[in-house]
This record gives sequence, structure tokens and C-alpha cells, in this order.
Amino acid sequence: MKLGVFFSDFKGGGDVMTRLSADKLGIILVGNGVYHATVKENGKGSPLLEKNAAFYVLTEDLETRGFTVDKVDSRVKAVTYDDIVDLIFNDYEKIIWL
Amino acid sequence: MEKKTLGFIVRSLPYKTEASRLALTHSIASQSVDIYLEDGQTVEPIVCFIGDGVLNCLKNQEAMKHYGDTSIGMHMENALLVDLKVYICKEDVERFGLTEADLIMDAEKLGGDMKAEIVPYASIQKLMNEADHLQFF
Repeated sequence: MKLGVFFSDFKGGGDVMTRLSADKLGIILVGNGVYHATVKENGKGSPLLEKNAAFYVLTEDLETRGFTVDKVDSRVKAVTYDDIVDLIFNDYEKIIWL
Repeated sequence: MEKKTLGFIVRSLPYKTEASRLALTHSIASQSVDIYLEDGQTVEPIVCFIGDGVLNCLKNQEAMKHYGDTSIGMHMENALLVDLKVYICKEDVERFGLTEADLIMDAEKLGGDMKAEIVPYASIQKLMNEADHLQFF
């Protein structure tokens, strides 16, 4: 299946996310999920980004929290609300929210 | 003069919940309890950011632009404007690879004089020990 996952936590939900798999997996970082794309703790990026998936981060939520797109990890693509609508309709068959 | 110190300790991330916003609005509002106090009694609120809570202090939060909502940064500047003491945990700032330049440290653009301080956790622990009341957000 082609699965899109909205992920809105920084410290939580990882237990499910670790085991989740799909033929095509997209993880869309929104809300407090954006910290995975931007914050390095003790110099290390988020372990979530090690997962075999396509990563996206919502620019509006990044900027709300004081970050800019140039701070985003290179494994993550910054997208807008409009881009997310396209992802939902064109790229993923199922969408869930964690 | 009898002084009661109220410690508002922020450990939550901003925006997903109202916790850190409430910490700041309540700390600012706590000064208004003076009207219920006897002569000679005062209240001193202090605000401390620890753990992931230090991420509330990042500059350039664009909540108003994107969601029409006041940013946590704006509340923090208002707290400094009314001369609240604001402390940010040094170890947590360093853990996230942040520096003072990344954080809201004053409300100069609003005409405020008070500056936030980045201090070791031990100093915040001491402040918590000395506070009469603590609230964690």
C-alpha cells in the first residue's frame, strides 16, 4: 500500500512509527513533528529520519515555531498546505495521523 | 514586607498544547493579585524554561502570519516588558545546539529593559527550592 502518515509529536508515537511499513511510505511532519526535521540533540538528528520513507515538513508549522526552511535536514522536503493536498490526492492511497 | 514567589516552570513544547502559553499569561496576570493582598504583601512571579521547553524561546515565531495567533515569543516579550524574571536552562539550550543569538532574550523593541538569563539547571533548581509555590506547564 501507499501510506501517508501525518506525524505531529516530537517525543512520542515512535513505538508505532518504528514498526509501521508500507510499499511506499511518506511521513509528513506537522505540528510538533517539525522538530524532527530541524532539531539536533547533542549534535544528532532525529532517529526518525533513519526510517526508509519519504519525509516532508509543513513550512507553515516550521515558521510558526521560529525555524526557516534552510534549517531543515537534507532528508526532508519542505512543503506547504497546498503541496500536502497534492500529496494526499496524488501520491498516497491511505492517510493516517499519529 | 511579605513576599510570595511563584515559580512558573515551562517544560512543554509550544503550540500543540496551550501549556506554555498559559504559563506566560498566568505569570504576567499573577502580578494583578496585588488587589487581593494586604498592605505589605507582594507577589513575585518567575518563569523558567527547562527541557524541551527551551524551544519556546526561539526567535522569529510566525504564528500570527500563518495562523493569526499570538506567538509564544510575543508572550515572552510581554513578560519581559512587565519586568518578570525569565530564566532559560543552559544545559538544554546547549543540548539543542542553540545559542543566545537564537533566543528571545529581551523586549527591547517594545521598550523593555529586563533581559532573560541563560543559567545552569542548578540555578533553576535553587530558584524552585526557594519559591513558595511551583506550577509546571
